[in-house]
Amino acid sequence: MRRSILSVGDWLALPVVAALIALCCAPLLILLAYSFFQVDFVTISYDLTLANYAKIAGSETYRGLIARAFGSAFLVVTLTAVIGYPVAWFVAKRVHAAKSTLLTLLLVPLYSGDLIRIFAWRVLLGAEGAINRSLMWLGVIDEPFSGLLFSPLATHIALTYNYLPFMVIGLWLAFESLDDRWLEAAADLGAPAPARFLRVILPLTVPGLVAGGLMVFVMVAGDYLTPQLLGGASGITIISAINDLFGTAFDWPLGSAIAWTMLSILMVCFGLGALAIRRSSLVAEDV
Amino acid sequence: MTRAATVWVYLVFGFMYLPIAMILLFSINDADVMAFPIQGLTAAWYADIIADARLGAGFLTTLFVAFPVAILSTLLGASAALALVFYPVRWKGIFAAALLLPFLVPRLILAVAQLILFKEVNIDRSLWTVIAGQSIIILPFSTLIIASVLIRLDRRLIEAAADLGASGWSSFRRVVLPLMGNGLLASWVIAFVLSSSEYVLTAFLSGREQPLSVLVASDFRFNLSPSLNALAVLIVFGNIALVVLAEAIRRRSGAKA
Repeated sequence: MRRSILSVGDWLALPVVAALIALCCAPLLILLAYSFFQVDFVTISYDLTLANYAKIAGSETYRGLIARAFGSAFLVVTLTAVIGYPVAWFVAKRVHAAKSTLLTLLLVPLYSGDLIRIFAWRVLLGAEGAINRSLMWLGVIDEPFSGLLFSPLATHIALTYNYLPFMVIGLWLAFESLDDRWLEAAADLGAPAPARFLRVILPLTVPGLVAGGLMVFVMVAGDYLTPQLLGGASGITIISAINDLFGTAFDWPLGSAIAWTMLSILMVCFGLGALAIRRSSLVAEDV
Repeated sequence: MTRAATVWVYLVFGFMYLPIAMILLFSINDADVMAFPIQGLTAAWYADIIADARLGAGFLTTLFVAFPVAILSTLLGASAALALVFYPVRWKGIFAAALLLPFLVPRLILAVAQLILFKEVNIDRSLWTVIAGQSIIILPFSTLIIASVLIRLDRRLIEAAADLGASGWSSFRRVVLPLMGNGLLASWVIAFVLSSSEYVLTAFLSGREQPLSVLVASDFRFNLSPSLNALAVLIVFGNIALVVLAEAIRRRSGAKA
């Protein structure tokens, strides 16, 4: 096998790497290059400048939108973690034969696509929608509650719905590798249930929490459609701002700079998350 | 505690299926407004959708895109999964991280980046750019599906083949390939489903010919009618049928190995 410089694995990886470079890395690098250009009237001038980044740093609007994107992401991570934690535990520890069926059932709605799910929430939440009409029909309210649709509330319900399965999968993997004997040992040593949860279960599932949380965080921060179609006036997000700059506003360099600002922040979050996972799994090995 | 968790799990699964149940209900409701109480049953909304020539053309366009995307991402995903699971590959960690990249980069950012790239190299937007772009974002999923099948294969089978004198290629062709066949099939089906329901990247990269998802999106924005429920139900149940099929195929390979 020493005959050639590249092993079989390398040859297999080669076309994949080529595709990733051509369709993912190269586009992102060109985007990075564009972020240092500037729009000069209707053409793009190719002199390198940091003006776009200065503009973002100096603009209250953009700073606010970026902060809001990450605030939303954090909120949805928290919601999915709280909702998903018991589900992941249940699937990992209380179900045996039906395990993979339950996981499949959880993932199936994902495959209906973003658009369809958003449409369904629109039907549910609208002023004439199912929830309002049912509440009126039941006599709980007299007039349709119009704040339901086209609001941050609608956006966050749908975002939580969209990304919950990713959190559950991350947590489920952590629960699957959690050895129940730790819990028995803790109980034998006299730890009450809350202490067993806080000092054994929670620390040992941190890797899953971080992994699931990172996925949800990235996807919520980068979600374009959900706020756009359900958020109404609150649907203007940093991602939709990028979309506008590449469309009607025609300022590709500024759009690129915003995109790379987002990517950089996401990369930092990822680095921190990876570090947290490594540290907590080291702790787990020490136990 | 288990009982409370059981109730919670029911509630969460109810939450996951509530929107789907709702569009199913309104797709057969005999009324122009999507509201309770239900007025009676009708198949008229389905008839509307099936008779709609514009949507029919969009559906064919979707098929035209989804077939090659599913093949491409499955082939690339199989190479990647083999390199990750079976054959030693250089810089494995970096390779695995790079495979996650298309999944982690926000879809819209990747879409505008690809748009710039295609413009820089003077490639006009068309269904071919959609196929290229979709293949790369589906690659992480197909890699994961195929790798999940490969991981469960018994490595001793390959060692046995080698001991019996099979060359690397013939052990791959006669041992590994037949055993990973179900993984390839499952990946193909899932890639097909993901391709047909992708919207953001598709909208950015498609030119004059627009797949179904792009048409559906403009309908959602501009003319919300109950027939859209029927369309959504057809899409959802088509996809669910395919996903369940893929899952059954993938799991059968687990039982055999």
